[in-house]
Amino acid sequence: MKANPLLKGVSYALLTIAALLCLAPVYWMIRTSLMPTSSLLSSALWPAHPAWSNFAAAWRAQPFLLYLWNSVFTNGAIVALQVVTSSLAAYALVFIPLRGKRWLFFAVLVAMMVPMQATFVPVYTMLSAVHLINTYGALILPYAGSAFGIFLMRQGFLTLPRDIVDAARVDGASEWWILTRIVLPNNKPTIVTLVLLNFVYHYNSLFWPLVATNSTNMRVVPVALSYFLTQDAGQTLQWNYAMAFDIFAIAPVVILFLIGQRYFVQGVAQTAVKG
Amino acid sequence: MAKAAEAVIAERIEERRFARSRVSLQLTGVAMMAPALLFLLAFVFVPMGYAVYLSLYQSTLYTPQPVFAGFANYAHLLAAPDFWQAASNTVWLAVGMMALSLPAALLLAVLLNQRIRGQAIFRTAIFGPYVIPLVSSGLIFSLLFSTDGGPVNLALQRLGLAPVNWLGQGRTALLSVLILTAWQFTGYYAIIFLAGLQSVPTSLMEACQVDGGGRWQVFRHVTLRALGPSLFFAVVICLIQTFQTFDQVYVMTGGGPDGATTTFAYYIFEKGFQAFNIGESSAASVILILVLACLSYLQMRLGRRWVVEES
Repeated sequence: MKANPLLKGVSYALLTIAALLCLAPVYWMIRTSLMPTSSLLSSALWPAHPAWSNFAAAWRAQPFLLYLWNSVFTNGAIVALQVVTSSLAAYALVFIPLRGKRWLFFAVLVAMMVPMQATFVPVYTMLSAVHLINTYGALILPYAGSAFGIFLMRQGFLTLPRDIVDAARVDGASEWWILTRIVLPNNKPTIVTLVLLNFVYHYNSLFWPLVATNSTNMRVVPVALSYFLTQDAGQTLQWNYAMAFDIFAIAPVVILFLIGQRYFVQGVAQTAVKG
Repeated sequence: MAKAAEAVIAERIEERRFARSRVSLQLTGVAMMAPALLFLLAFVFVPMGYAVYLSLYQSTLYTPQPVFAGFANYAHLLAAPDFWQAASNTVWLAVGMMALSLPAALLLAVLLNQRIRGQAIFRTAIFGPYVIPLVSSGLIFSLLFSTDGGPVNLALQRLGLAPVNWLGQGRTALLSVLILTAWQFTGYYAIIFLAGLQSVPTSLMEACQVDGGGRWQVFRHVTLRALGPSLFFAVVICLIQTFQTFDQVYVMTGGGPDGATTTFAYYIFEKGFQAFNIGESSAASVILILVLACLSYLQMRLGRRWVVEES
C-alpha cells in the first residue's frame, strides 16, 4: 500500500500514546519506590534524592527469597509435570487411532473452561481429607494435568507429517521412542511456548495459593504481595516499600518475558488463530 | 538373492505388525492418556460433580451433617440482591471491556500491522502489561487511584478539579477495576488481532485494490471479514475472563464498597471461604460453570463455522 505521510504520522502518534499509557503505571511504580518516606505525598515526577535504601528496607521487611523459592519450585514442578502428561496425552490423541478420541478431546476442551473459582471448595475438601492443605502438594497436584497443555501440544504435533511416525513404527520403534526421539525434538518451539506461557500464568495466579495455604512460610509471591496490602500493612501503607517489593515480584516475569518474547507472543497468537 | 531378501523383509514387517496389533496400540494409547486424564478427572471433573452435589445440600463448615435442600440454595441465590449485584457488576465489566478494550486492541493491531519503525518496541510496550501479575498491577493501580499522593488525584488538583475518592465509592471503584483490567488485557487482544491480520492473504487485499477499492473498502471487505474468527474468539475469551475476575478485586477493593465491585468469582469466594456457606457458594459455582459452558459451546460451534466459511 502506498505510504501516506499524514496517515503514517497519525499512526506513530497513536502508537506512542498507547505505549506511554502502558508504561506510565510502571514508571510511577519505579518513581514511588525511590521516594523518601518524608515526601511520599509530593507530586514530583522524579524524587530529588532517590532513596535507594527503600529497596533494602523492603527486602528486609519480608523474606522475599523464600516466597520466590516457593513460587519457582511449585511452578517449576507444575510445568514439568504438565509437559510430561500433556505430551503423552497429545501424542495419543494425534498419532494413535483410539476409539472415542473425539470425546476425549471434547472432555479436554470442557476442562479448559472450568476455572478454579468454581471448583475450589470440592478440591479444598478433597486435599484436606488427605492432609495436603498448606503443603507444596496442594499447590502442585491440581495443575499436574493441563487441558490447555494438551490442547497446545496437540496443535504442535498435528503439524508433524504422520508418515514419519508410521515409518518409524514399521521399523519397529516403540511409541515411547517415537515420542522422545522424533515428535518432541521436532516440537521444541511448542514445548518452550508451553513452559513459558504456563510458568508465567502460574507465577501470576493468586486465587488457589491464597486458598490452599495459610502459613507464612508457604506463601508464594502473589500471596505475599496481597498481604502487603491487607493484613501486614498496619495503619498506613508505606507506598514506597510496597512498590519496591512489587518490583522484586515483577522482575522475574518481566525478565522471562523479555528473553522468551518471541515464543511467548507466538504462543498467545497460536491459541486463537489455529484454535 | 534379491528376491529372498525382499521376502525376508516382507515377512519381518508382517511379524511386527502382528506383534503390535491394533489392540496393543490402543492399550498404549490409553496408557499415554491416563496420567493427564487422571489428574483432570481428580481435579476438574470430580470436583465439578461434587460442586453440583454440594449445591443441593444446606451445609456450612460448622454443621457436620449436611441437610438435603433440593434447589433451595438456587432459589435463595436468585432472590438475593447481593447475588444480582455481583452478576450485574460482572456484566458491567464485560460490557466495559468490549466497549473500551476490544476496539482499542483492534486499532492497535491495525497500526502495528503496518510497516513501521520501532515496531518491536511498540509491540513489547503494549503487550507488556499482560505478563505482570494482576496482584502487582492491582497494587500499582491502588497507588494510582489512592487519595493520598495518588497521581490521578494530583493531576485532577493541578487542573483545579476536586479530588475523587476513586476506590471508596461504588461507581468509581468499579470503573477503577475496569481501567486496570483494560490496561492489563488490551495488549493481549491486540496480539490476537495482529495474528488474525497477518493471516489475511495479501493477494486478496491486492485484488481488492486493483478493483479500485480504497483503504476503507479493503479494510471492510477483506480485512474485517478475514478477522472474523479472531474477533469472535476475543469476544468470547473476554467474556470468559471477566466472569473469572478475582485478583484485581481482591487487591484493590476487597469487593467493596458495599459490594459495588464484587464480581461473580469473588462472590463465590466470599460465600464459600469467608461466610462458609458451602451450599450457596456451590450453587453459584454451578451457575458460573453453566454460563462458561454455554460460552465455550458458542465459541466452538460458531467459531468453527466462521473459520470454515472463510476458507
